[in-house]
Parts: sequence; C-alpha cells; structure tokens
Amino acid sequence: MTVDLDKYAKPGKGYYIALGLEGSANKLGVGVIKHNLGQLSTTNRAEVLSNIRDTYITPPGEGFLPRDTARHHRNWVVRVIKKALIEAKIKGTDIDCICFTQGPGMGAPLQSVVVAARTLAQLWDLPLVGVNHCVGHIEMGREITGADNPVVLYVSGGNTQVIAYSKQRYRIFGETLDIAIGNCLDRFARTLKIPNEPAPGYNIEQMAKKGKHLVNLPYTVKGMDLSMSGILAHVEGLAKDMFGKQNKKLVDVESGEPITAEDLCFSLQEILFSMLVEITERAIAHVNSNQVLIVGGVGSNERLQEMMKLMIQDRKNGQIYATDERFCIDNGIMIAHAGLLGYRTGQTNELWNTICTQRFRTDEVFVKWRDD
Amino acid sequence: MAGVSSQQSVEELPYKLTLKVPFETARQALIASQTLSPDPILKGNELDVTYDAEDTTLLLKFSGISDRVIRVAISNVIDNLKTIVECIDEFDGKKDVLFEEE
Repeated sequence: MTVDLDKYAKPGKGYYIALGLEGSANKLGVGVIKHNLGQLSTTNRAEVLSNIRDTYITPPGEGFLPRDTARHHRNWVVRVIKKALIEAKIKGTDIDCICFTQGPGMGAPLQSVVVAARTLAQLWDLPLVGVNHCVGHIEMGREITGADNPVVLYVSGGNTQVIAYSKQRYRIFGETLDIAIGNCLDRFARTLKIPNEPAPGYNIEQMAKKGKHLVNLPYTVKGMDLSMSGILAHVEGLAKDMFGKQNKKLVDVESGEPITAEDLCFSLQEILFSMLVEITERAIAHVNSNQVLIVGGVGSNERLQEMMKLMIQDRKNGQIYATDERFCIDNGIMIAHAGLLGYRTGQTNELWNTICTQRFRTDEVFVKWRDD
Repeated sequence: MAGVSSQQSVEELPYKLTLKVPFETARQALIASQTLSPDPILKGNELDVTYDAEDTTLLLKFSGISDRVIRVAISNVIDNLKTIVECIDEFDGKKDVLFEEE
C-alpha cells in the first residue's frame, strides 16, 4: 500500500515544481525542486533545480540576534528568490506551490520571510504550504540518501532530537533538555573568539582535529535525553581560567603536556558526540532499525559521522546516511521538497493560516505522504 | 510615500495614528493589506492595528497605550512593507517572465 501522490496533479502536466523559502535562523535559503508524477523512487528522484543560500555572519565572539537576522533576511529575500528562479530557469507559471518554514525557529526571521512568501503567492496566484523545519530536514535527508526508514538524528544550532517514524508521525525518542548541540558548540566558539565564517562549528571541528589530550568533562545523558548546558559552563570555565586574567596553565594528567584550546575543542566534541551516539544506539535498539540518518547543520561534522559509523558497523547490516553541507545546513530546497510532499497529499495553507510559530514540534505534523 | 494624520481621543487606547500608503493598483493595496493582517499583534491590550485597502490606498490604523508603543509598531509594519513593495516591484505581472542574470 502506498499513498496516491497524484490526486491533486494538474491535468496534462507531468511534473510538479515547488519554490521553498527558509529563514528560521541565520541562513536565508531559497530552493526550487521538481517531482515527476508517480512515487519517488531510485528511478524517479526529486530533482534539485536550484538551491541558493545567504548566511548572516556575525563578528567573532558575537552570536546572531533575532532583530539583526530578520533585517538581513528582509534585505536579501527578494534578490535570493530571483536568483533561485534564474538558476532553475523557470517562470512563475511553472510553479505549483510556494512553501515556507512555519516553525520552529526564531520568530522575527521566520516572520520576515513569510511576508515575502505571502506577497509572491498572491501576486502570482499560487497556493502556500507551511512546512515544519525539522520535517524538512528529515524528508530531504531521506530523499538525498535513499534511506527509506531510518532512525533520524537531527542535530543543529537550535535542535537536538533522535527521531523515528511510526504510524504517520515522526516521533521524538530523545532530545536535549536544555540547549541544542549546535548552540553549545557555537557558544564555545564565541568564548574562544573563533570566527563565525564559514560556520563556528566548522572552525571548532578543524581545531579539534589538532587536539590530542582528552580533558575530563561531565557526561550527562539522562535516559533517552541529554543535557548540555552544564558541559558548556564547565568547558567555558576551563577556557576562562586558561585564557583569562588568571592565565592558569592546565596540564594533561598522563603526559604532563600543556592543554591547548585545540584540546578543549577536541574534548568537547568527543564528549558531546559520545552522548549522541549512546542515545541514538538505544533508539535503534528500540525500533529494531539498522539505519541512521544524520541531518541538521552539526550533521556535516565528519567526526560525528565517523563516531556514528563505528557504532552502526557493529550492528547487522548497519548503515549510516549523511548528506553534505548543501543539504545538512539549513536550506530552501528541503522546505520546497517537504512542502511539495504535503501539497501532493492535499495540504495548502490559507493566508490566515500562515502565521509562523517559534515552537512547532516534529511530532505535530501528520505525515500524510507515508503509510508504512 | 505616506500621508500621516494624528489625533487623540480618550478611549482605552488613547494614542491613535493613521498611515495612508498609496499603491499603483487596488490589487496591490489589497495584497499588502492581506499580507500584513494575518500576524497577531503582540501585547494586544496595549496596541491595536487594523489593515484595510481602500481603492489604491493601504490604510493602517494604529491605536496604542502610548506613543512609544505606536512608534515601535509602525517601525515593524514599515519594515514588512519594504519587503512587500520590493516583491511587487520585482514580480507583479511577471508570472510568465523567465528572469535572467542582469
């Protein structure tokens, strides 16, 4: 049994095209996707026509604030939409629906983008489709990697969740109890005054590669959930001792060698990623799966992918799926893709129903396009 | 771009202000009003905003508990209007246009 995805197809048209707008955090993304009629499969893949992103980068030591991020998105949204249309070589008349991120995310940036979506939808008389950001990541990850029913580890600046599909919902098996993993890494990057270009997490990853000594940090898995704010406070304390006024020298217990900023990055990654691997492995055991799909910005971290791979290799037919930065880091194409799946199963949002919300849980979405 | 008129009355929300924003067509004014109106007003007991399209004019009526509240609200609405106007400039009547690199 499969869901009929062509009940709402336009007569005489062999394909669908969706425009997707994303702006829930500091990335502004616009993408154009094409689905041909029929089920998506290995022989009938979704086609990425364009995927443009413009990231709001703040100076080292500074995070991105909602107001400033919203201003960035407002400044660029029309230009980025135009660029996406140009690259995709499509006209407004080719488009079936305009998809936008309805949440979760930062309120002001979300709102600044939906204004453009609403205006364009009315100008060109196209339906709007609101998309859950997390579901966007999951569906794009599945489509790109071909993982059909994986346990999903969703790790980004604002979210940390272990998710598995059951009965038309993406259900949350475990999640952070306080801050997201990307937030933890970003904030530590700020403490060390590491540049935010191209991404703070990327720069931590590069520094961690040079780390050798594992510094003792708290390990805080709480059942299926995890807590990271205590770890952040601890490692920030160490960094302040080392690089602040006190100028305290820390040494590695075994070798007697001095601890460096690189060692701190390395240790922070190792401890955080071990926690993720633990709860992911438990979720896999629960649902009897052997596939793990990693999505979200932190998912582009190669060390995390490597650690997850070591775990999954010990399982029978274990398989890990991950995507590269084009699809891991927030983008418009995933919103277009997930929105189009919704559209093909009858979802459209009237204008009054396009209000964005900062809190929008993954399991609130009824996954109409799957029935396995 | 806007004609501003201000008057006060002794209601619950004593500070009032009306913005009139002209558009090229009635449809554009309507689209602007329908784009702005879905979003809820924060602090509903301190501020009220209504959006209307009258012919080619977008009518924005603000009433608030203080002039400060109104100033913040107007600033927000104008930020959003900029996006709307830019969208109209770039895309209105161009649904069947294939855009090209300039």
